[in-house]
Amino acid sequence: MSKQFDRRAFLRRGAAGAAALAVGPGLLAACSTDESGSGRKGAGSSPRSGGTLRAAFVGGGASETLDFFNGPSVLDLVRARAWHGTLGNLDSSAPDGVRYGVLKGIDISHDLSSYTLHVRPGVRFTDGSELTAADILHSLSALAGKSTLPVYRLAAANFDLAHAKADGDLKVVLPTLRPIADGRMILCQGNFLVVKDGTKKFRKGMPSCGPFRLTEFTAGQGSAFERYDDHYDHVPLLDGLELRSIADSTARAGALTGGEIDFAHDLSPVTARTLAGEAKVELVPTRSPYLVGLSFQMNMGVKPFDDPRVRQAFKLAVDREAMVKTVFHGNAEIGNDLPAMGFPDYADGIPQRAHDPERARGLLKEAGADGMQIRLTTGPETPGMVEMATLFVEDLKKAGVKATVRELPAGQLYADFATYAALPLAGSYQIPIPALSTYQMSTAGGMPSAFGWKESATDALVAKARAESDPAEAKKLGTRAQRIRWEKGNQILPVFKPNLNAQAEGVAGIRDDLFEQFPGFSRASLA
Amino acid sequence: MNLLAFAGRRLAGAALLLVLLSAAVFAATAVLPGDAVSSVAGVDASTEQRAHVRAELGLDRPAAERYASWAAGAVRGDLGRGFVGERPVTDVLATRLPNSLLLAGLTLAVTAPLALSLGLWTGLRAGGTADRLVSTGAQALAAVPEFVVAALLTAVLAVWLGFFPRVSVVPLGGTPLDAPHALVLPILTLSTVGLAVATRLLRVCVADAAAAPYCEAARLNGVRGVRLAVRHILPNAAGPAVQALTLTTGALVGSSVVVENVFDYPGIGRELQLAVAARDVPMVQGIATALVAVMLAVLLLGDLCARLLGRREVNSR
Repeated sequence: MSKQFDRRAFLRRGAAGAAALAVGPGLLAACSTDESGSGRKGAGSSPRSGGTLRAAFVGGGASETLDFFNGPSVLDLVRARAWHGTLGNLDSSAPDGVRYGVLKGIDISHDLSSYTLHVRPGVRFTDGSELTAADILHSLSALAGKSTLPVYRLAAANFDLAHAKADGDLKVVLPTLRPIADGRMILCQGNFLVVKDGTKKFRKGMPSCGPFRLTEFTAGQGSAFERYDDHYDHVPLLDGLELRSIADSTARAGALTGGEIDFAHDLSPVTARTLAGEAKVELVPTRSPYLVGLSFQMNMGVKPFDDPRVRQAFKLAVDREAMVKTVFHGNAEIGNDLPAMGFPDYADGIPQRAHDPERARGLLKEAGADGMQIRLTTGPETPGMVEMATLFVEDLKKAGVKATVRELPAGQLYADFATYAALPLAGSYQIPIPALSTYQMSTAGGMPSAFGWKESATDALVAKARAESDPAEAKKLGTRAQRIRWEKGNQILPVFKPNLNAQAEGVAGIRDDLFEQFPGFSRASLA
Repeated sequence: MNLLAFAGRRLAGAALLLVLLSAAVFAATAVLPGDAVSSVAGVDASTEQRAHVRAELGLDRPAAERYASWAAGAVRGDLGRGFVGERPVTDVLATRLPNSLLLAGLTLAVTAPLALSLGLWTGLRAGGTADRLVSTGAQALAAVPEFVVAALLTAVLAVWLGFFPRVSVVPLGGTPLDAPHALVLPILTLSTVGLAVATRLLRVCVADAAAAPYCEAARLNGVRGVRLAVRHILPNAAGPAVQALTLTTGALVGSSVVVENVFDYPGIGRELQLAVAARDVPMVQGIATALVAVMLAVLLLGDLCARLLGRREVNSR
């Protein structure tokens, strides 16, 4: 058995080489048997309706579930987005910063103590019944409120879901736990989907009001959908949709170039690069704010990270551009040591941190930490993490730190949480969620995942920023709080990487469904 | 009668071994650093939320107690539910294990006759040029990791020549048999590696039998070629040969995780890998125990066959 596991570890490391071997672009172009290329329309013509789009995702194996309130894999939520109606999605071009779904709008009371959700009239479930406040209430308080998934915890940390009430058929009143002005951003992030009142079991054939209805589901293999012609918003152009689980990045790319699928989700940087020369395939990376932050956490409870000069030196030592170029072949954005880049409450006014190994060396000397030894611990939890850590260690060496890297086997980094939270220096990643509410949920008050950061003044500033109804003032307060984290914080965030998605030529409209991290297909069309 | 007693004894032994091994697997998951709380509650859950989830999953109970309640369920055929996604473990086994058995079985069907012929051919010419060539080739092939073989086969047969699909896209709700062409590359990959190992094992059995005095006597009497191989060598090498093949087969069922990944074949190995990464104890426990049971059953069958063949050998002499 141990030999087998060694081989698996070897496989992971060797996958890069194997990928290059398996998807040699020259070979592919020469003998692809793709049929979708024929009869393609020129750019600029209106999107074609009809056809079945086939998309592939990593999936969660046989433990995939239709109950998206308990399904942690990306595909569980993607499937649910196709199947169920949503409260809304973030849209920076819309008036409230939100494109509403089954809602007409959200009003916030003057004292910020409650939110009123106005139901969009005339939304029908597949069984013909009309969507009412009771359905939203059930989805929010009975289902989302009991979910242990991180995406739903953000809402539970801000709203008193247990005391939400229906006011007539078309209004839901949702009390807040503390005054907040940015609640729309939390409720309409895209992951709040609505099922019918009383739903306990999720199964094929249950009433739904999303753009598609589920016709087939096999855990770990895939699901099939057909268009729901009575969809409230935007009746899909596609006749059908097939969502497949293909775990391996190279295999997903292979299925795409082989014409077996039309959309491949989240390819590894190396796989994506091999597709760059493909004529019939196009790379469509997610855009800001749907970028995953790759980070390093310095533990302030461990010397010498209690010294802000050391923390600053580590931040200055990172060569961010080299990471973007080497690890992601240019397909990523440079980070500024603050999470949630691209969200409305992200402090974009703070200057970009420079790469200054000389100054880092000076600061370390000043703090008496030159020649310090440190071990960076990380794991292959998302593509690029281990490579980033390797580069960071080299950068640290150039600044005079005796750094080494330790790679844990897949899954172990976070599974052994007590050990993780006690690491002096850990490589990690951040999923895209808004800046201030995330800070309150996972960093404020000395949470274990804060790695020793405990600053009640900053916590208070964040709370004040969120309780400010004047957007300009809120932005000012929020920026001030993030500036403190930028200067004295213990998090290094050098790179934000997109999900490297790829699609067959002529596929369009997937991005128009917003919430790109979990692609939606209600506006998609085939060539 | 003698055989029945033998089978009964071996069956009882296998059952005992199964219990011991399932306990060993459980102990391994208990010793493994970390638990499933982070995969269920997320990395940035607070201490209270972690405690809540841990209690909900029953992970706050001592390991011995958890094993006892798992074993009590397992005896009744209830292997519990996975921590991640909450699917019944028996469901996952029912959908995935048959696929793995199918892959292993088909691989065996390809490997066994080929390995037998190659083993006879080389074993009878032990030390000769042909033997050295084939044996060295087999040794080299056995040393190549499956994913390299898979990548090469894919590059040549799927990408370059376009004979087979690169990924085993099984129709929704169907089995791999509904897309037989998708089975070819996984079987070829596993067979290549399995063939190399089995040929080397069989060669030794044949060489041993060929060196035995009665074979020499047969040869001196003018028995040659196929007749010598079929009438004299094969019956005597068959016992150990069957056992060599059983070992290869048992290993195939669980170890095809690499092939499952590369070709996206819906087998059980990948499920086990996922479950280990998520520290999904009931899933790991259920799958590992099922694989142990399959392995023990295959070994038992192999031993029975070897014994039957051995008896014939005794009677005929």
